[in-house]
Amino acid sequence: MHAVVMQDLEEYLAGTLEPAGQRAVDAHLGVCQACRQEVAGMRDASLLFASLQFETDLAPGPGFYAGVMRQVEARKPVPPFAGLFNLNLAFGRRLVFTSLMTLAVLGSYLIARELRYPEGPSAEAVMAQESSAAADTASAQDRMLVTLAAYEH
Amino acid sequence: MGSVSGALPLPRFGARLAAKPRVDYENTPEGVLVRRLQGGDESAFREIVERYQSKVFSIIHGIVRQRNDVEDIAQQVFAKVFLSIASFDFRSSLITWIYKITVNECFDYLRKRKVRKLVYESDLSEDEARRVENSEPQVNRQEPVDASLARRDYVLKLLSRVSEEERMLLMLKEVEGYSVEELAERIGMNENTIKVKLFRARQKLVKAAQRLDRAPGLVAG
Repeated sequence: MHAVVMQDLEEYLAGTLEPAGQRAVDAHLGVCQACRQEVAGMRDASLLFASLQFETDLAPGPGFYAGVMRQVEARKPVPPFAGLFNLNLAFGRRLVFTSLMTLAVLGSYLIARELRYPEGPSAEAVMAQESSAAADTASAQDRMLVTLAAYEH
Repeated sequence: MGSVSGALPLPRFGARLAAKPRVDYENTPEGVLVRRLQGGDESAFREIVERYQSKVFSIIHGIVRQRNDVEDIAQQVFAKVFLSIASFDFRSSLITWIYKITVNECFDYLRKRKVRKLVYESDLSEDEARRVENSEPQVNRQEPVDASLARRDYVLKLLSRVSEEERMLLMLKEVEGYSVEELAERIGMNENTIKVKLFRARQKLVKAAQRLDRAPGLVAG
């Protein structure tokens, strides 16, 4: 398409071109068949748009805004970890709660079990045994020598 | 015809156009509403919905003409507005941005409806398809009952062949009746750019129409 038509094309198609410009474009279209055909095609396409002009009597229903907010909730992005396990958030929350409850019950059971066993010797008793004189007596050393000799035989 | 559009350098539309200052959409009343919504004020969203719902309904009804589906699509449009408002950068007016979302939602709806129809038809056996065909009212399919509806279907097919941006520009220019100057102001581009984009979009429409007229089955949208 030639520049003389192209630069005023929008105004020409809309019918808002000034008379001088209109005469210049018409004069060119009179002698240029290619431009004439192209502009005719564009004008035909332009006229089709009238079928999309529509004043509607439709008005939003009373629950329209609530419906929009439901759509918003439904479209809100899910956190990546929930998507990874393909969980929805409500189910994820229930799963976390159940896991914590299980952990608490198991912990209580283990603590209770430990408490049921009798206590071993106290720290004081162990210390007293280690520092007792019986471990250093001569008879104890003799018993050790006999044991070693028996082992050699 | 010395040079055709393919060989022509980009048109020098701007020779007669003076540069205009850009509109500061951030400081308009609608810009204030957007800022409030971006800050988490849900009451601002309700105001936006109330302000633009009628316009959105008309756009949707003009394109899809299915009264039952208009409200559903409008709800999807506003849900998208709510969820994407953080990315709104004030380069265009809010209504232009909502307009673009609305037109895209309508074309998505039309595309999904077409896919559903194709799936349904492909699920039928030959006998079932014949039975469905025979049960449809006997109308001459080459002569649609309503010429206006046929023109609408035709232009929608053509529009499905251009990009989202070109579609929005064409709709704003041809359906809403904005001048190039108004488009430039609302979209935040200069007038030369708008003219070039519109010119290319119109060329695509003409080519799509030629293909459609030659082989209707191939370009059917």
